Amino acid sequence: MTAALPRRAWAATHRFRPVLLILAALFLLFGVTQEGFLDATNLRNLLTGVSILWVLALGMTFVLISAGVDLSAAAIVALAGVFLARALGAGAPPGVAIVLTVLFGGLVGAGVNGLLIGRLGLSFFVVTLGSMTALTGIVSLWSQTETQFVTARLLREIGMGSILGIATPIWIMAATLLVALWIQHRTYLGRDIYAVGGSRVAARLAGIRTVRTTVVVYGISGLCAGIAALIAVGRIGAASPQVDNAIALQAAAAVLLGGTSLMGGAGGVGGTVFGVLFIGVLQNGLSIAGVQSFWQQVVTGVILVLAVLGDRISAAGGVRPLIAAARARLAATADRPSDTANEGSSA
Amino acid sequence: MSATEASARSASGAAATGAATGAAATARGAEAPHGAPQLLLDDVRKRFGGVHALRGARLALTRPGVVHGLIGANGSGKSTLLGVLSGQQRPDAGRIVLDGAEIALTSPLAALRHGIAMVSQETALAPDLSIAENVFLGGRLVRRRVRGIDWRASNARAAELLASLGLDEDPATPVGRLRPDRQQMVEIARALSQEARILILDEPTSSLGDDEVQALFAAVRRLRARGVSTIFVSHRLPELLALADELTVLRDGETVAAGPIADFDADRIVEAMVGPAVAERARARSGAATRPAAATAGSTTTTTASVPALRLRGVGAPGLLREVDLDVAAGEVVGLAGVVGAGRSELLEAIFGALPASGTVELHGSALRARDPRAAIAAGVGYLPPDRKHQGLVLQRSVADNLAMVATRDAGRLRAPGGAAERALVGEAIATLRIVAASPAAPVSTLSGGNQQKVALGRWIAARSRVLLLDEPTRGVDVAAKAEIHRLLRAAAADGAALLVSSSETEELLALCDRIVVLARGEVVASLTAEEASEEAVARFAGGHA
Ligand SMILES: Nc1ncnc2c1ncn2[C@@H]1O[C@H](COP(=O)(O)OP(=O)(O)OP(=O)(O)O)[C@@H](O)[C@H]1O
Ligand SMILES: [Mg+2]
Repeated sequence: MTAALPRRAWAATHRFRPVLLILAALFLLFGVTQEGFLDATNLRNLLTGVSILWVLALGMTFVLISAGVDLSAAAIVALAGVFLARALGAGAPPGVAIVLTVLFGGLVGAGVNGLLIGRLGLSFFVVTLGSMTALTGIVSLWSQTETQFVTARLLREIGMGSILGIATPIWIMAATLLVALWIQHRTYLGRDIYAVGGSRVAARLAGIRTVRTTVVVYGISGLCAGIAALIAVGRIGAASPQVDNAIALQAAAAVLLGGTSLMGGAGGVGGTVFGVLFIGVLQNGLSIAGVQSFWQQVVTGVILVLAVLGDRISAAGGVRPLIAAARARLAATADRPSDTANEGSSA
Repeated sequence: MSATEASARSASGAAATGAATGAAATARGAEAPHGAPQLLLDDVRKRFGGVHALRGARLALTRPGVVHGLIGANGSGKSTLLGVLSGQQRPDAGRIVLDGAEIALTSPLAALRHGIAMVSQETALAPDLSIAENVFLGGRLVRRRVRGIDWRASNARAAELLASLGLDEDPATPVGRLRPDRQQMVEIARALSQEARILILDEPTSSLGDDEVQALFAAVRRLRARGVSTIFVSHRLPELLALADELTVLRDGETVAAGPIADFDADRIVEAMVGPAVAERARARSGAATRPAAATAGSTTTTTASVPALRLRGVGAPGLLREVDLDVAAGEVVGLAGVVGAGRSELLEAIFGALPASGTVELHGSALRARDPRAAIAAGVGYLPPDRKHQGLVLQRSVADNLAMVATRDAGRLRAPGGAAERALVGEAIATLRIVAASPAAPVSTLSGGNQQKVALGRWIAARSRVLLLDEPTRGVDVAAKAEIHRLLRAAAADGAALLVSSSETEELLALCDRIVVLARGEVVASLTAEEASEEAVARFAGGHA
């Protein structure tokens, strides 16, 4: 209640401080220079505009903590969208179809990615790249590349409606964040995910169910994709046959901006939220300013690299030590092109 | 104590005057043949948040070609000080003077340019590359303008370097196929190929068997003869006394004693390490920790009649273990001896289900069906892996998480961690093992090596495992803590636990075990009772089949 709490909260932000500061600066900049940026409607648009990214990035956070990436997240969104349209088309009541869609997403994530990576020990990159590609194809086949219109009122409410004056997607964002925070801080599952990401061998030797944890992690990512599918379908009133796989990468970028480590074992959903907001504010502010939206991508990419660089610089204790260390690493690998390695073994 | 402390103080006084006047040779000129010390680290300070890792540490290499021992309790700042010297850590304050000139070490590369090379404890070698490639890693293979790399010349030069260390391996052998101690030699060769004049070895012997230690010492002595200095950290006093020419003792980040090795003996070193008051208590305790030979020998014979806590029959793994039969009774501590590669680690892994193996493992009379770590843990087995950094701990996680990891493995996964019972468990483990950490919430990576080891061991004590498989239980642990861990293990045995302990230090097994089983090439070659066992007997059996 005293000054200790804010100080502790501030200390907890150290992993994603760069993006936090840049976000604050952007907010100020746009707030002062762009008329209408701080309007309630605009802020609402800003948030609903990143709602899909938000939900995906929260799921993706656990995947990254577990030392993986889910490249197939966006493909699962599209697939779950088609599933939803088909379920409704087959006469399922909207409430049931919605629940089934979310579960379907979770099942695809856990059953395909989770089992292949966890049980068979295949590389997450290969598996999710493969499932991304295959699922993208399946979306086209299943939808016959036609837009599947959805007219259920409930879905329109999810995508466009509001509860107590606040847009439904924002409620969904808040709810998923709360659940994600709960998993991260208040469950043994959360601890397992950190342990598995930190050291799979050590976790296994301590009796942690590493396979199950991995399956659950990709299941969580799939569940989030299922939830995102509801928002996506609800917003345009149809399931699109188009898959925008770049969204999965954007979600991973938001997670990284939020300070979660690609090496696993460290980070959290708190930072991810700011990573997503950064992308959202940039997108929104630039579009109000009339700047081409492509600039958002350029800036996001640059900031992502800069944020990681800043982290490394502070870890190394300055720019020069960082460069020196990098040079030492480079030098250490200079002798290792594949041809010389072959020669070496024959010598 | 007072003598060594006085010598440390006078030495630092002399260095201070030397620095103040800027003259190289002052009072020290009389003792040191080359005038000023070759290397001087003075008043080095380093803080990690609230932890003062170094608060005015000092280390001086009096001349080129000296072997300098560095010792201190766990967490006293040895690794941090050497991190500063090798450019891996930036000190908050302090001076580094090399050959009379103050230098700044901003990176490992900068240190290397000054001829200071650290041989890391985790070998930093590329296992698929040949010895020669590893030695000359970093673009230093012999090149010819047209043909590119001259492998013959490179290999010849590598062979020369290896020979100078007393090693006769083929330089084209992939490093991954070498024994750990040989890998370490390759790293040393690499340092030498970079013209290192000061070699830093942080606990190089902690994972080596007695033979390999001797080989390493021979290499260090060869280097000394060539004018290469070595700074050498070890918790094993006899080693230091045998090898070092001079010694620095750290306590709580401060240099409390320093001087030629002739000024020290084991008692005096321990006293300097822990302070006079604690030393008295530690002596009393380590006396209590030594095994009461007669009593335990008696208990062994009585317990063999009942069902053993751990019974192995025909445990084998292709190429690693052959038909191992072994019984460990409740209350018994059995040691596993043997050279590196004899199958000690593999046997423990096989019992724990971490290594696929044939044969049967029975616990208290019932066979272990599923052969995986979870099943073993459920049956009351605990396993301390030899490599705490990668296998024994999740380094980024907190001390508390790591300690509670095993005990809470079967709690509902959606339940909240950190309840009162768990906190009590963690608190108890920290107290009984005397783990020094900023707080239970501190990441385990911020603990000193010895304290990390205690956490890795503590999780099994917290889980109340009844059969403990321990691979190098006191690796990297200081003398006082080692005696404490031995006492804890004896207490666990007295409490009815069965212990199977593998160690590359025969001395440790002799102090701790009721019985010593010697392995060679994956086979049991001898089982020695406490009375039969001795350094010589163990070495005879271990070497006979190797
Ligand atoms: N990165 C870090 N962050 C926080 N504290 C640290 C860090 N590195 C070291 N420390 C602390 O600094 C102190 C000195 O640690 P150091 O590793 O130098 O000890 P040591 O003498 O090498 O011990 P050991 O014999 O156990 O290896 C310890 O209390 C340790 O917890
Ligand atoms: Mg150390």
